[in-house]
Amino acid sequence: MVGKAGKVSAVGGEPDLRRRLLEMGFCNGAQVQVVRKAPLGDPIEYKLRGYHLSLRAAQARHVSVQAD
Amino acid sequence: VAAPRGARVIALAGNPNSGKTTLFNALTGLRQKVGNYPGVTVERKVGQARLLDGSDCTIIDLPGTYSLISRSPDERVAMEVLRGLREDTPAPDAVVVVVDASNLQRNLYLVSQLIELGMPLVVALNMTDIAARRGLHVSAEDLSRELGVPVVSMVGHRRRGVDELKAAIPQARVAMMPDWPIPAEMREELLLVGGGLAILDGSEGIACESVGLKPRADLAANPDQQRLDRYQAIAERLLVGDSASDLQVLSQREPVRSLLGSAQGRMQGLGIDAMQADIEAHYRWIEGVARRCTRLVDELAAMGVDAPPADPERPVRPTMSERADAILVHKIWGLLIFALIMASLFVSIFWLAAPIQDAVEGVVGWLGAKATAPLADGPLKALLEDGIFAGVGAVVVFLPQIALLFLFLAAMEDSGYLARAAFLMDRLLARVGLHGKSFIPLLSSFACAIPGILATRTIEDRRDRLATILVAPFMSCSARLPVYTLLIGAFFAAQGPLAQAGMMLALYAFGIIAAAVVAWIFRRSFLRGPTPSFILELPTYKIPQAAQVLRQVWTNSSEFLKKAGTIIFAMSVLLWAINYYPRLPEARVGEIEASVAAAPLASDAGTEGAARSYFEPPAELAGEAFAAAAAEARESEVSRLSAAAQREYSIAGRAGKLMEPVLTPLGYDWKIGVGLIGSFAAREVFVSTMAITYAAEDPEDGGSVSLAEAMQADRRPDGTLVWTPLIAVSVLVWFVLAMQCVSTVAVVRRETQSWGWPLFQLAYMNVLAYVICLAIYQVGSRIY
Repeated sequence: MVGKAGKVSAVGGEPDLRRRLLEMGFCNGAQVQVVRKAPLGDPIEYKLRGYHLSLRAAQARHVSVQAD
Repeated sequence: VAAPRGARVIALAGNPNSGKTTLFNALTGLRQKVGNYPGVTVERKVGQARLLDGSDCTIIDLPGTYSLISRSPDERVAMEVLRGLREDTPAPDAVVVVVDASNLQRNLYLVSQLIELGMPLVVALNMTDIAARRGLHVSAEDLSRELGVPVVSMVGHRRRGVDELKAAIPQARVAMMPDWPIPAEMREELLLVGGGLAILDGSEGIACESVGLKPRADLAANPDQQRLDRYQAIAERLLVGDSASDLQVLSQREPVRSLLGSAQGRMQGLGIDAMQADIEAHYRWIEGVARRCTRLVDELAAMGVDAPPADPERPVRPTMSERADAILVHKIWGLLIFALIMASLFVSIFWLAAPIQDAVEGVVGWLGAKATAPLADGPLKALLEDGIFAGVGAVVVFLPQIALLFLFLAAMEDSGYLARAAFLMDRLLARVGLHGKSFIPLLSSFACAIPGILATRTIEDRRDRLATILVAPFMSCSARLPVYTLLIGAFFAAQGPLAQAGMMLALYAFGIIAAAVVAWIFRRSFLRGPTPSFILELPTYKIPQAAQVLRQVWTNSSEFLKKAGTIIFAMSVLLWAINYYPRLPEARVGEIEASVAAAPLASDAGTEGAARSYFEPPAELAGEAFAAAAAEARESEVSRLSAAAQREYSIAGRAGKLMEPVLTPLGYDWKIGVGLIGSFAAREVFVSTMAITYAAEDPEDGGSVSLAEAMQADRRPDGTLVWTPLIAVSVLVWFVLAMQCVSTVAVVRRETQSWGWPLFQLAYMNVLAYVICLAIYQVGSRIY
């Protein structure tokens, strides 16, 4: 899973979370790469649009990604 | 910093980590004022800058936000300032938006929202050095052409481009409104709703005028078209769910409400979500702009300016930050380095600050003694000595710890490590409903809850922050240590040093467990919220700038002195008064003098249960020397006993007795009650209060009879011991759980901008302490 990359195909979740995810750049078609998991397993670090951010797994599951 | 009348007002906007603060400092120098927006815990920074033409302008540093859709307090304040909806802040004439060139796309999202707002803009294209290190060149000229506003390329922390930015501010322009690629169906709905608003405007309390969107004079020459454009812009804000106060009012009015509802219903039927469509349209436009403005540096060098555009989504080369993170958030090394950094933070605010604190206390005490020496004994001298100077001491004694903590925090935040710390620790804290960013505040609270609570400012979410503030005082602070040491030493010495150390550890662990349980309960009850959001940017590492870090330490420390200091000071004086008044009648002092004079030397029994041998005449003393020594011993005995009697006679002493019915179920007597009242000034005061109450020497002053012995020997009128190991445990647990520190109350009041939260915290912690201590004594005394 770490190192994998793909394109965002759908963003779900409740409106506030969805809005924030979209605003941070998780739009349909955006290229996303899994960089690493935190040492304790969660959260997970992603790279998209040339920057790094981390999401808890509970939030990340609302972003569907089509693997490259 | 007085704003010159009629001066231009500029708002400084930008994403977090875009270097906005550095730029604000570079523009305003020392001419700035830091405070809070009334009613919210959002920092308000306003400064004055002199432009190149010699004119002054007021610069408002908006909170760093990723978006302007008002959801968090930061975003709401930013939006309200921009739209001129806040009475406490002048409406800006133009906006300087800071854009991180190394993170162009996401930074342009905020720019795209500012464009919609219709305000004159200048783009400060910052961090071009970091972009260059990644092999990217963002062309200011191209970006300026794309947006139609001045774009200044700069490296804020090297002060490169600051003058150019100052020159560009008067040239601020309203950006061209891009043709967002929104779905055609949504466009139709915008026309419909916009048309509806045009008809409804002015009727039955529907006033589109009050919406803070600027008319966009640049777009359409035709005034009718302008009007329609504006209605459409409002319709778009409403449809995408912008909840700024002005729009909120409008969207709740009928028939606007049903107009919006039916439009949203129709779009939903077509599978279109207005909010998502809007954001994706912005990003699609952004991707185009970014692609046209970004070039690969290498290719630029090889082929000149006509190099092919770079795809910003393709990794160019592993950045320095990425290589650093391979170690700093590594499974093993990352945790190890983190533990090391946290240990040094802890050591420095716990031990490194201690000698400085002692020195500060010494200086304040010395000044107090110097100032009061010429005064005769009496209320004025006592007020100065024990009230005012002790109060000042109580405030400034925290300063070394607070300054050190802020030094660490500022350096960690400035370098980008703070986000990694949150990333590493989030899992642990998420289990009890806290946040990765709660870790450092909680750790700092082991030194002192005050810097800990101040450190919660880095937590953006209000609920996360409140939960952290509410449980932070459970961490055993350094002020509890003397109490732990006294009680464990006095009542568990027989169990050996290992058991004593174990008890000490257990008390610390108990506080942590209490915090976890309480946080868990709060997050599932009144602080319950939507899935605690943890969307954390991991910014590029930077070398912290000394000037910036020191400025932050200075701002935060002086703010603490001003705001919390005044309350702490007032409380200290109040606590002094209730311990000083009313005065013991002269007759009582006379009685004590007489009884001491009558008592034989080397007596075993003093008065008031203080069993002690106060004078043992050394054999070699004789004659006058013996008489002098005996007189001195009697005199000091009188002053000790009258201090103890005064303590009992004072309001605090009476309150202690008044509290006795409440304290008896816990097994405490009134003396412990007085100690608990005294510990509201600071927990360690318990030890000196006990020393006075027991007419024993304060152990710190190297007394001849130890406080521990006096406590062990103390009996109630019915002959039973006041202190049993069970009661000692109960008092220890009380100190772990109870909120008994006015300074913390003052700081929570300041940080939450309300009296409600600190009073709630005071109540729930003390009730919890009471219930648990009651259970310990009631259950324990039946087993014994």
